[in-house]
Amino acid sequence: MTDVPPTAAQPEASDIDASARGPLLLLIGSAILWLVAAGVLALVASIQLHTPAFLANCAFLTYARMQAAQETAFIYGWAINAGLAVSLWLLARLGGRPLRATGLAAVGAIFWNLALTVGVAGILAGDLTGFAFFQLPAYVQPILLVAYAAVAVAGVLAWIGRRHAFTFATQWYAVAPLFVFPWVFSVAQVTLLFAPVHGTLQAVVAAWFGQNFGALVLAPFALAAAYYLLPKISGRPVHHYDYAAHGFWALLVIGGWAGGRQLIGGPVPVWVATAGIIASVLLLFHYLVVAVNLAGVLGARGSTALRFAAIGLLAYVSGGAINAVTAIRAVAKFSQFTFFSVAQTQLLLDGAFTFMIFGAIYFLTPRLAGRPWPSAALMRIHFTTVLSGLVLKVGGLFVAGWIQGSDLNHAAVGFPAIAGHVRVWLLAATAGQALMLLGSLALALNYTRLVAVCIEPPVAEFFRAPAAVEVTGS
Amino acid sequence: MKSSPLFFLSLFAALAFSLTALVLATNAQYGALAPYLDETAGAAFPQAPQGLAARGHMVYQDLGCAACHTQQVRRAGFASDKERGWGDRQSVARDYVHDDRVLLGDLRIGPDLTNFGARAAATGLDATGLLVLLHNGQGAMPGYPFLFVKQLVTGQRSPKALAIPGSPDCELAPTPRAEALAAYLLSLNAGHDYPETKPPAKPAAPEAGKK
Repeated sequence: MTDVPPTAAQPEASDIDASARGPLLLLIGSAILWLVAAGVLALVASIQLHTPAFLANCAFLTYARMQAAQETAFIYGWAINAGLAVSLWLLARLGGRPLRATGLAAVGAIFWNLALTVGVAGILAGDLTGFAFFQLPAYVQPILLVAYAAVAVAGVLAWIGRRHAFTFATQWYAVAPLFVFPWVFSVAQVTLLFAPVHGTLQAVVAAWFGQNFGALVLAPFALAAAYYLLPKISGRPVHHYDYAAHGFWALLVIGGWAGGRQLIGGPVPVWVATAGIIASVLLLFHYLVVAVNLAGVLGARGSTALRFAAIGLLAYVSGGAINAVTAIRAVAKFSQFTFFSVAQTQLLLDGAFTFMIFGAIYFLTPRLAGRPWPSAALMRIHFTTVLSGLVLKVGGLFVAGWIQGSDLNHAAVGFPAIAGHVRVWLLAATAGQALMLLGSLALALNYTRLVAVCIEPPVAEFFRAPAAVEVTGS
Repeated sequence: MKSSPLFFLSLFAALAFSLTALVLATNAQYGALAPYLDETAGAAFPQAPQGLAARGHMVYQDLGCAACHTQQVRRAGFASDKERGWGDRQSVARDYVHDDRVLLGDLRIGPDLTNFGARAAATGLDATGLLVLLHNGQGAMPGYPFLFVKQLVTGQRSPKALAIPGSPDCELAPTPRAEALAAYLLSLNAGHDYPETKPPAKPAAPEAGKK
């Protein structure tokens, strides 16, 4: 999109990548480790849904703690580490200058992961807060805030110090979460943990935080990648690029309001839920813009990175549409409090976010490391397993949720009967989770082999021929 | 978007927009909600949980009971919460004013627990019966054996301990955590009516009558 031709005055793309190698490979490596850990925890939690007695004899292995730990490992471990890496790389690339404050970023990344490890152990020990997307114990939360900010500084510097005043959609989406996360995270820490608000206000704030985390932190990370990869790899322009800015601001302004849809019928002011419903429907504009802008990616062939991004995009847009439909009260009556809403979340986490970021990782890691991916077979295995896993897991949860919701609305159907009706679909979801874990292991293996060789000095001619990376790596 | 300060200022404003409404305005609206003084009963409701039950709320939180159980009843006519016997009226914000950590729950793998104590009293489920249920599990709920200690009976049986069928020499003594959790669950009762719980019942009435 903006790659400046290498001249004497400007750094080459390879110099920019070299400046970011250490901290970004560290972030991506940690992200993949957390993805595998989250996959194992999620598999246990998934089995416990249809076989409650599984590993239920110790307090730290019970379903609720497994569930909280897997969610935390996934969003704080995998998603934030990977999202930051992708964001920093994109901002440096498009800024056209080497990354600055990389030492600070590396220190931040180390502290983030150490604090997170303590936090997940704390969750298993029973220190979970009980708020979705915000389960980490109070004693690690301030460290995480500072660590995130330390990493984010590099991205903000890359934005401010960019070579051209003009900016691209990728840059807006990449820089926004660097700013949004510390803001909403610190508000949530104060209002939920350190000076908690009273009564059901906690539920309102928690819903606001969770919504912002998903829509204004994770989604922009992924969209930044998608807006970069499509034109870069396929060579096709972004359709109706003029609308991209409207789509971006629609998300930023309306996105934070949609959390109220989770509180429909709850003991909170009715206007909170109503605002959530209206926001969920208005957000369709944002999803429409993204769909129109990036629809070209769907026809792309031959590039693993693009295929991942295409699936992620489909999941993102369909997830947005489903969120809008289920926000309507008559539908929420069935979907609320069921696996259906779990499936909605997982479609956006396991599907939209993860697939777009996989695409970015496949594209940028060989450039950072200066070497192509060691195994194309592992890449194909990864794609096949996570895609089939996603379909099974999310599809299974959607069907289970709908059955559960219909049953719950008939007072005569008891809980043992409901458990019997959904069991087979929960088994499908478990199989899907197992496949996704397998896929993560393939990625982890490929990444380990790539990084293990890149400790040696990078192959110089590789940088001079980016096309070679393109062919082997994406 | 060429100007960085303008860009960041806009980001700031966009976030401040939802923060002002959902965090600050809601706090102004009912952040100071207090218990309701019922003059006929001569007491304020809801009543603050006492001793063991208050500690049980912490066990409820750390075991993550809210991962599978909600504590929020939706109004009659919206879904089947009332028909299932989970509560005669919709849960309102005032029901939660004493909770340090409000755990509404967002998944119903098991029943809603808002009025569990009232239901238990109506069906004759006492603390011992509830402890048996917690130990053995039921349906989709696993047992929680780690809340109990298996011990040899020496002399008289402990009055709180559960008998183990088939082994008369041993008994299962509930840990303090188990007792606290049971006391908490049995204390759950949001049955008291407040001024705000009466009007919303009216629009729902015709629908309930249609059935």
